[in-house]
Amino acid sequence: MIEPILASTGGEVPSMRPAAVLVVSLLAVALIIASHARPNVREAWSILAALVNFGIVASMAPGVLEGTVYVASFGEIVPGVELALRADALGMLFAVVASGLYVLTAVYSIGYMRGHDEPYQTRFFAMLCASVGAALGIAFAPNLLLFLVFYEVLTIATYPLVAHDESEEARVSGYKYLTYAFSGGLAVFGGMLAVFWLTGTVDFTRGGITELATADPWATGAAFVALVAGFSVKAAVMPLHSWLPSAMVAPTPVSGLLHAVAVVKAGAFGVARTVIDVFGPGVVGDLGLGVVLAAFAGATILISSLFALRQDNLKARLAYSTIAQLSYIVFGLALLESAALTGGLLHIPAHAFAKLTLFLCAGALYVQLHIKYISEMAGVGRRMPVTMGAFTVASLSMAGIPLLAGFVSKWHLIVGGAQAGQLLVPVVLVASGALNVGYFWPIIYTAFFERADDRERKPVLDGPLGGAPVEEVRSDGGSTDDSHDDHGHHDLPPSDGWDRPAGPLKETTLLMLVPLMSTTALVVLFGIVPDYMFFFDLVELIVEGATEGVNGQ
Amino acid sequence: MEWLIGAIILLPLITAVVPVVASLRWDNVGWHFATAVLLATFGLSVWVTRIIVSSGPITHVLGGVTQPWYGVELYADEFSMFVLLMTLIVCLGVLVYTRVGGPRGNAFYGGFLLLTGGMLGVTLTADLFNLYVFLEIMAISSYALVSAAKYRWSTYAAFKYLLVGTAGAGFYLFGVALVLAATGTLNMQDLSVRLAEVGYTDPTVVAAFALMAVGLAIKIALFPVHTWLADAHASAPDGISAVISALVPAVAVYAFARIIYTVYTVDFLTTNPDVGTMLLVAGLLSLFMGSTFAILQDHIKLVLAYSTVSQFGLVLIGLSIANETAIFGSVLHMFGHGIVKASLFLLAGMIALRFGGIRHIQEYGGLAKKAPVMAGSFGVLGIAMIGLPPTVGFVGKWYIALGAFEEGMWLVSALVLGSTLLSAAYILPFVNRIYFYPFRGTDADPASITRGMLASIVIGAALAIVLGFASAEIHTYLESAVRTLLEP
Repeated sequence: MIEPILASTGGEVPSMRPAAVLVVSLLAVALIIASHARPNVREAWSILAALVNFGIVASMAPGVLEGTVYVASFGEIVPGVELALRADALGMLFAVVASGLYVLTAVYSIGYMRGHDEPYQTRFFAMLCASVGAALGIAFAPNLLLFLVFYEVLTIATYPLVAHDESEEARVSGYKYLTYAFSGGLAVFGGMLAVFWLTGTVDFTRGGITELATADPWATGAAFVALVAGFSVKAAVMPLHSWLPSAMVAPTPVSGLLHAVAVVKAGAFGVARTVIDVFGPGVVGDLGLGVVLAAFAGATILISSLFALRQDNLKARLAYSTIAQLSYIVFGLALLESAALTGGLLHIPAHAFAKLTLFLCAGALYVQLHIKYISEMAGVGRRMPVTMGAFTVASLSMAGIPLLAGFVSKWHLIVGGAQAGQLLVPVVLVASGALNVGYFWPIIYTAFFERADDRERKPVLDGPLGGAPVEEVRSDGGSTDDSHDDHGHHDLPPSDGWDRPAGPLKETTLLMLVPLMSTTALVVLFGIVPDYMFFFDLVELIVEGATEGVNGQ
Repeated sequence: MEWLIGAIILLPLITAVVPVVASLRWDNVGWHFATAVLLATFGLSVWVTRIIVSSGPITHVLGGVTQPWYGVELYADEFSMFVLLMTLIVCLGVLVYTRVGGPRGNAFYGGFLLLTGGMLGVTLTADLFNLYVFLEIMAISSYALVSAAKYRWSTYAAFKYLLVGTAGAGFYLFGVALVLAATGTLNMQDLSVRLAEVGYTDPTVVAAFALMAVGLAIKIALFPVHTWLADAHASAPDGISAVISALVPAVAVYAFARIIYTVYTVDFLTTNPDVGTMLLVAGLLSLFMGSTFAILQDHIKLVLAYSTVSQFGLVLIGLSIANETAIFGSVLHMFGHGIVKASLFLLAGMIALRFGGIRHIQEYGGLAKKAPVMAGSFGVLGIAMIGLPPTVGFVGKWYIALGAFEEGMWLVSALVLGSTLLSAAYILPFVNRIYFYPFRGTDADPASITRGMLASIVIGAALAIVLGFASAEIHTYLESAVRTLLEP
């Protein structure tokens, strides 16, 4: 009964390619572990796997744009639920972002892990590869059950990365992460059972599973709440967000690729699958739950930006920014208008490029100069001009400044909100943009326009809540409260200021510089010529399917 | 070919004396002999399973004595063969471990064959009294084997196990006597008809059910009659812990399923809805109390032992939901649990062998750095024990929770899923220690870990994942047997 709907989205073509990415990832994990004694060989596997996976994913892209769906089928996993992998438009969106950025992160990780002499590098590279494999599995999962399988595999694979440095803090964060993620997984499990019980299927169906439109609205509503609440844990929608700032204890490439791209977007992607492919925007609208979700997302956007204002730890500030930005995606999906859907989905790549750039910059600062706190960054733009330049571009994109990636998605969100008749939406988004400037500008300002011996006070950061001026100012311009002492960092920035780098592009290793420049280029390209980039057509295709399906509007 | 199922039981039972007799002349031939016998039995069982799959269930009367009162009738369908194959696979895995891990000595392997024979008998018998006999063969040999450990404490534990186990057997036997008094037969197939004639609300019939249920609950170690289990596990040899945790309860659950569905039939449950409810409550209590006790332990074998209480609570929940999906879930979960729990016990034994007898969580720190394969297997098996995808524990929960949903028992479904967090709470601390703490112990005896042991736990871990993907095939295989349980 579902077949005709599936067929209407374009031809299904049997192909082993969606499954091949998983095989490649598994093989790569095995090879990485096997060559633990030879780091260069090990990293070669890592990069090779990234390239091969990206190649396989990219090779399917043109076909998917024409409406083809690639399917690798292996029978059933439980009766009524297919064991298969399907590369459709929505899946491709996530797969291209995850596998493409993995290539850059794999290169960057080498520079980071070696530059920082991190322990347990084999485990790190193996688990990073496994996580990306799991993310690709999520992208290509054809039904909720397999989605959940890969979703939990992703949780398990990222746990060693969070607990990576084996300190007490890392272990506690790891536990916290697992508790949140497993609880979310269980909610998804429950919702999935309810859907299966209501309809006899959990297949992702463009525009929604037909039977859900006529099922008991209370049961359907409960299933929707369970699914979306479960996915919102990974998408860090408040109040389910608190694992994400803790998980920043992981090495920075992990924070970048997983906790800004793959893992958290898996949550947002889950919400997208739920709204578009399980229930259909029409049913969600009839249930009246879109508004509720939008309210949560909107609140998250504003509140977490306020949290971000008060973080001195650079990665923590980025984490709260991530929480806010992820909710843009959820927000767009919850508004159920085609322009808003477009905006929400476009925000997946747009945010990924920009946030990864920011994290890569943060990692470079940490490895090169041991900078962890914003209060240590005065004048660092002189020492690492390219890195901080990239940081600036990416943070402007975050704020939604035109000609950068963030603007493209935000514009569609605003239009969608206006179309939906929710005039609060543009207000929330514009306010959020202002807040973004509010917490990114001080970083840029201190890096480029301040020096170690000439710094201004940061009342929002240093003062009591609300930003009243502080009484005393230390000679280095930092705060008098000694809360930083337990961070164990020493006099940064150096009192005589930063030196200039030895030459152009010599501010840090090219292994880190090239990836972060590449992601910056993506941010700019996506901002200037979005319609030449693959994502625009892809998202159009998804939104078209979502709204023309049976449960569409 | 029907006589083959008789051979499956008799082969280990009769040959159990051989190692003992052989002690007169040779030392330490018991292991080789037991392995050879069980391999042969396994081969036979695979053959019989193939016959059953192609031509349906087999009934066989031992020795051709068809007198209903004295004859020993055997019955084998896909369900019994499934449990039987699990039993043999686990027993063979345990043998791989005990070759070096001990205990050695011919008498031990004589007992081991007896234990295996008893378990096989329980899975194949078609008669309530013979079920009692086989349960006791199984139980008595396991008392003996528990006391085979080198700890002094094990004698006490075995004695406690014996007292409690015998009380359980007494309950069961009393129930059988009542059934016989009420109906005049002990054959399971006959009983399903005669009990209906007597009437499912007849007090004797209900009382007999209650007595048998209590007796078997003791054998399964459900809460609150699980008390023998902690001592028995903690002091038994590791290989025997694997058997009494993974197999003895599973076989007892099999017997219980036969009594509920083949003897009393699903009509009994619909006539007496309270019985079903009580089973469900007992299952839920076991599930949550078992997990809670497990969380409170820091001794690996106790954690695993209480985890068994909790997992069999889950199995009982599936059985009490009484629809096809849930029962299949229970059977699958039981199978998966057997493989996973046995592997974990062997692993605990291997870790103790290699690292100087460590058993407590505090001593598990950093083992991954010394023993990556063992640590990796522990991780995978732990994940399977928790019931996370893509392992067999996950699909078992899927069927049980889905079955609950189909009956509209969404609260049960939610509790089943929620229990996953409790399971995570007792397994993850071990995984966390193994991987994310520094190594502070002594790598006392790396040579004691044989390739065979590693292979068996790796196979166990691999099965835990493969079975998760193969559940649709297993469903096809068991479909008719499960349907027969519900519609005899």
